[in-house]
Amino acid sequence: MAGTITIKLVFSGGLELLFGNEQNQSVLIPSFVPSDNSTHSSSSSSSSTTSSHNDIHSTGETKAADLEYLIYHLRDHLLKERPELFMENGTIRPGILVLINNTDWELEGEGSYQLCNNDEIVFISTLHGG
Amino acid sequence: MSSCGNPAADEQALMPRRLKFGNSKDCVRCRLKPGNIVIRHAVYCQECFTPMVDMKFRKALEPSVNARAGTSKRPKLKASGNLCLGFSGGLGSSILLDIVHNTYFSSQPPLDDSGRPRGGTNHPRNASVWPSCIVCYVEVCGAFAGMQDRTEDIRSVVERYPSFDFVPLRIEDAFDGSWWTKVSGPNTTPQVWLELSKDGLITDGRTAAMHLFNILNLALSGLHVTSDVTSLTPVEAMRSYLSSLPTQTAISSALQNLTRVLILHTAHSRGSSHLLFGSSLTSLSISLLSSISQGGGYAIREELQEEWAPVTASGSKLSSVLRVVRPLRDVTAKECAVYVWWNNISVIGRDKQRRAILGIAALTKNFVVGLEKDYPSTVSTIARTCEKLEPKDAPSGQCRLCKRPMQSAIQEWKGRISIRSYSDDKLATDLAYIPSACRSILDSSTPSQVPLLPSLTDFLCYSCHTMLTSRSSRGVKQSAPGVSSATPLPIWVADCGLHEDELMGIGGRRKIPEEEMLHTVAKFLTDDQTCEE
Repeated sequence: MAGTITIKLVFSGGLELLFGNEQNQSVLIPSFVPSDNSTHSSSSSSSSTTSSHNDIHSTGETKAADLEYLIYHLRDHLLKERPELFMENGTIRPGILVLINNTDWELEGEGSYQLCNNDEIVFISTLHGG
Repeated sequence: MSSCGNPAADEQALMPRRLKFGNSKDCVRCRLKPGNIVIRHAVYCQECFTPMVDMKFRKALEPSVNARAGTSKRPKLKASGNLCLGFSGGLGSSILLDIVHNTYFSSQPPLDDSGRPRGGTNHPRNASVWPSCIVCYVEVCGAFAGMQDRTEDIRSVVERYPSFDFVPLRIEDAFDGSWWTKVSGPNTTPQVWLELSKDGLITDGRTAAMHLFNILNLALSGLHVTSDVTSLTPVEAMRSYLSSLPTQTAISSALQNLTRVLILHTAHSRGSSHLLFGSSLTSLSISLLSSISQGGGYAIREELQEEWAPVTASGSKLSSVLRVVRPLRDVTAKECAVYVWWNNISVIGRDKQRRAILGIAALTKNFVVGLEKDYPSTVSTIARTCEKLEPKDAPSGQCRLCKRPMQSAIQEWKGRISIRSYSDDKLATDLAYIPSACRSILDSSTPSQVPLLPSLTDFLCYSCHTMLTSRSSRGVKQSAPGVSSATPLPIWVADCGLHEDELMGIGGRRKIPEEEMLHTVAKFLTDDQTCEE
């Protein structure tokens, strides 16, 4: 689909409970997104074909879709409960590990990593305890 | 990105965020492949990461395997008993099971052409470090209403490791005489109860009689055991005990203590020489800080690693000692999560209710987890610093409740740091509404007319005493008229000579009949009316 990219998602470590108990999911997000990470006009599921490309241009500055935007998108469209357990202060909550294509997001620039089509993003909660 | 704060600088200029790793993104171990994970500023590739964690595990565990250190730099490992693993279903303990199995229980001895172990079955090379391994799990659903029993789920996890024997326990076993008989042999340990008194807190909105009753209770303050008041099932006794605790922090601590002591006794009774817990560096740092916050600083070394044995009636420890080790103490929670992911280890996790810890432990966890994200090295600093701490004097015994070393002269120390005398003028003004007859009882500087009776207080560590008597905004649980306010204690408290310590029986405190208590209170009321006239 022109103007959108597919992102494969994996939730582990108990985090899947916040996303409807589905460990493996995928999302379609626009290639260019609002710079303020607004997710109002974004599609929210892999089956949705709504293109929000035209809407983005009309709302102001845009940026290439990055991981920071994806986190907001997940919170606003996929998360079923307890958003405070997923996001805190505009970023992923401490205690949640993020892997981008099997690599620590700290090596890929964290939230500023620009998403590519078919990237696999893994979110693992480390808050299980001992 | 953050501003550098320099007023002369351009307001729009932002300080670039410093990298969380060194200059290179290549693996620091093999230096060949690009790194996949950052662990405390060091970069590792996926292939080097797992051996690195395994090495940390063995370095933390193997020096304590042999009963004696010996002189060899690489001694042959041979434990004096079997192995016990504490399993909670969480991240660390799941990794513990997997690494222990892969390292010590899954390797097959090399076989000769006939299929028999090379060198014979008695060859030292074919001897295992521990002859057997048990996995202990403590089910806590009895303590939380509506919580699901996960014993069978845990059993299915342990059954994936055929070398391990599963030993399920329940938190209410701590109040079950039959469990105690199993681990300590036939005995006549009674169920003991405790009269908890408030420590200086007078509740509002009570009748005058209750008000004075509370003051009397304070004057007789201390923790006194009584004979069995009513017969409760182990679950009822456990719930009564937990509901009597003053704060959520106390309840969290009590559950941890019950779990730990249950596993200690079970492991010891089954001939284990080593007991391993899967506490990661992160959870260890949390428990260290949390323990210190609740007055457990004296036993901080035991929180890290200890050699434990039950105390006999004579006060001495048994010769067979159980070494309690936390071999994942150098592995952070992040490393644990990645290890589980890359090695396809299935983690059941903890129940939602169990994960929702409250009180000081929850606050500490939030703090340490936040630290690990922004300043990962500081988490290690917490554990390293605690390792260096050592109490000044030798312990005076073992706390009856938590089974950890007990500081000597605790009450004397508390007396030095607490307000015990109400003879101070300002305090006298504040407490003017209390009748003078009663005020004299509160003043510990005057000789008390109440005989000093042995108290369980003298046999508890500072942390346990604080847990039982800490202040609560809820106030002390008041029992219904005609119902005892005593709370049951874990079964092991009464072991090892409560009679000898004069806490029960002849010379011990007896339960004051209600009529006598009412008479004593009425006497004060009469004095009160006399004062007002």
